[in-house]
Amino acid sequence: MRLRTLAVYLSAVQFGLLSASLPAAPLNSEQLYDVACSACHSLGTVSDHRVGPPLGGLLNRQAGELDGYQFSEALRTSGWIWRLPTLLAWLTDPDAAIPNNAMNYVNPLTAEETQQLSEWLLRQP
Amino acid sequence: MLTRRRLLEGSIAGLLASASGGCNDMGSGRRVVVVGAGLSGLNAALILERWGFEVDVVEAKTRVGGRLWTLDHLPGSPEGGGNVMGAQYGRVVHMAHHLNIALRTPPRTLPSDYVIRDQRISRDSWASAAANPLPETWRSIPPQRLMGKLNETNPLLKTRAWHDPNLMASDQSADVGLKALGFPNAAIELINANNSYGNNLSDTSLMALYRIMGEFGRLSGPELAVQEATLGNMRLPEAMAKQLSRPVSLGEPVVAVRHSPSRVQVALASGKTLEADAAILALPLPALEPIEVNLSATQTNLLRQIDYHKVVQLHCVVEAPFWEAAGWSGSWWTDGLLGRIFTRPIPNTSRYNMTVWINGDHCDPLNALDETACTQSITQALWQLVPEARDVTSVGQLVRWSIDPYAGGVWALWRPGQAGTAHRAIRAPTGRLFFAGEHTAEAYRGMEGAMESGERAALEIMRVLA
Repeated sequence: MRLRTLAVYLSAVQFGLLSASLPAAPLNSEQLYDVACSACHSLGTVSDHRVGPPLGGLLNRQAGELDGYQFSEALRTSGWIWRLPTLLAWLTDPDAAIPNNAMNYVNPLTAEETQQLSEWLLRQP
Repeated sequence: MLTRRRLLEGSIAGLLASASGGCNDMGSGRRVVVVGAGLSGLNAALILERWGFEVDVVEAKTRVGGRLWTLDHLPGSPEGGGNVMGAQYGRVVHMAHHLNIALRTPPRTLPSDYVIRDQRISRDSWASAAANPLPETWRSIPPQRLMGKLNETNPLLKTRAWHDPNLMASDQSADVGLKALGFPNAAIELINANNSYGNNLSDTSLMALYRIMGEFGRLSGPELAVQEATLGNMRLPEAMAKQLSRPVSLGEPVVAVRHSPSRVQVALASGKTLEADAAILALPLPALEPIEVNLSATQTNLLRQIDYHKVVQLHCVVEAPFWEAAGWSGSWWTDGLLGRIFTRPIPNTSRYNMTVWINGDHCDPLNALDETACTQSITQALWQLVPEARDVTSVGQLVRWSIDPYAGGVWALWRPGQAGTAHRAIRAPTGRLFFAGEHTAEAYRGMEGAMESGERAALEIMRVLA
């Protein structure tokens, strides 16, 4: 490394201007669910205090059909059935998937994380 | 002889020594300092602890909760800060449930009469009152509902994409935008008199107002009533803090945050320095601005440009319903110094909490006064408006968020041109620094936005320090 280059590097380090190239480590599915879903949705099939429906047994469930939740008319009448393509579309951009829905949610996950989480969710009993 | 190689080795060694502050053992590589013990910082800390991170939370104030502040020393424990939990605040409601914090439907605020140019107007006679300044087709709309007319054109009722480039024509001055939408000048003046969502309409983006009104528009309906914590909203952050394995360090303002590609140092005013692998700056921008920290050039500029909403409140306790004899309703909406007066019963008593609530640039002359003079100025106007209140009303607490150095206002405002990019730029991770707080939230504002932002910041750290 040439002296001038190193000096610039050191200066950048000292002043924190280098964007740290931190290694990205894939999160496991439980972590993704915990951070991105669990405040509003439990697992299993029993309703609780949370604002959204439980996510167990989701595969092949009709969208907006569980009792006890104020689903939007848009979701109830969507005809959607939860399978991988629908769940991926829904989680990626709920407004684009089913406009006028009631889930006020902006997905913080990457496309890969969303895929991993969707596959995992559809396996939950 | 000092060779070039020696010089370089010396520089690197010196740099590392200064960066480590004499501490060579960084432990797990998963140590995080969270600056700010409001809902966002506490939520991030709880998530990170759940997944095995070592978390230190430092807070400048001597209490947790940030802009949640229950005035426990007053009868009725009124909220000096965040007061309403929206029905869709899933994260807040879940956390409250999880921590056994009881929620209730708030006691109903008494209906509001009006005071326009010093003329008192009963709520039933608003539409026909001579002092109602609105043109014929607008006269029946009460002042507090004028902003709701925005939902007739609001693109954010159908999408939440408030950064969508296709919608950026609305990222203009709300003043100009409302005129273009056909709002009469008198309506714009009334909106500006008590606008909770901008210091003045010319400095506020119409898109920011669409975002707020869209949220209200989607959530309206009797089945979606708001809630509050029965014993005060502060109980929620207090309970969250108790869940942490290490106590929050209170009364510890941060003076500097230094970061390199490998570590972070958080220097406290007390002289202590915390070492970490990452830090979350979960504090409002006016509180971040005086801290010495190297941010991106964009973020540094935005720190100075993003505005915060001004609020002055005077919390009073009323012993008897003085308004009844004169036939008034108990709350008032004014276009004068007093702004709005919200009165609500204290449950299981015959008393009332009465809050004078002044918004935006109308706070400026009051914030220029000392506490005593400010209180006198407000009470003088109050006794002038309702002399009958004087004998039965005691002044409890003046709250001025803008001059609180650890708040700087009640929430971030988006100026014209900031909806498109500023919001994302201000929260972009910078090296090992991550950002949380309601100003960084995407889907929600307020308490739920704070919780949402804590999730996102925790996720960003979990990705890089797993």
